[in-house]
Amino acid sequence: MKEYDGRVRLVFKDLPLPSHALARPAHEAARCAGALGRYWPYHDKLFAAQPDFQRADLVRYATDLGLPREAFERCLDERRFASSVEADVAQARALGVRSTPTFFINGRPLVGAQPVENFRGVIDDALRTTR
Amino acid sequence: MNGVRVTPARRRRVYTIWTVWFVTLLAWLAGGVGAQTAPAIDADPTMVKGAPTAPVTIVEFSDYQ
Repeated sequence: MKEYDGRVRLVFKDLPLPSHALARPAHEAARCAGALGRYWPYHDKLFAAQPDFQRADLVRYATDLGLPREAFERCLDERRFASSVEADVAQARALGVRSTPTFFINGRPLVGAQPVENFRGVIDDALRTTR
Repeated sequence: MNGVRVTPARRRRVYTIWTVWFVTLLAWLAGGVGAQTAPAIDADPTMVKGAPTAPVTIVEFSDYQ
C-alpha cells in the first residue's frame, strides 16, 4: 500500500467461512472496534492472533488497544453488526466469491494468496488504464 | 407497387420503434460491460484504507481464521 500511496485504496469485506466456527464473532468484533474508532489496529491484531477468537480473547484484544471494555462487550453481546457481516457474505455470494482471500482490483478478480508480483501486475495495469 | 403504401405516419412509427429498440440495446450493452469490469461493491467507511480519490480500488473478501 505504501508503494502506491494516494493511488490505491483498500476496502475490506467480511467473509467468515462456515467451516471456521469462531470467525463470525471475530468479524463482528472487528466492526465493534471500528464503531469505537479502532478498526484497522483491531483487524491487524485478529490476523496476528488467529485462531484464538474465544469471547475472552476478543475482549482482551480490544482492551489491549485501549477500547472501553463495557461498550465493546455490549456491542459484541448484542451482535450489533451481525446483519452488516451477513450483508457482506451475501454480496460475496452474489459476486461468485467462494474462497478467501478473494480480491477485486478495479473489478478484476484475483483469487487466493497470490505472490506480491501478481498484485503489482494487476495494479499497474489498472493504473495504466485509468490514466 | 406491391400494394403497401408508406404513409408519413407509418414511417414515423417505424422510426420510433427502431429508435427505442436501438437505445434499449445500447443501455443493455453499457450495463453489461460495466457490470463485468467493475462490480458495484459498497464500502463501510471504517473498513477503507487509502485516499478516496485513488484511481485503483482493491476490494478484499477475507476471513480472519
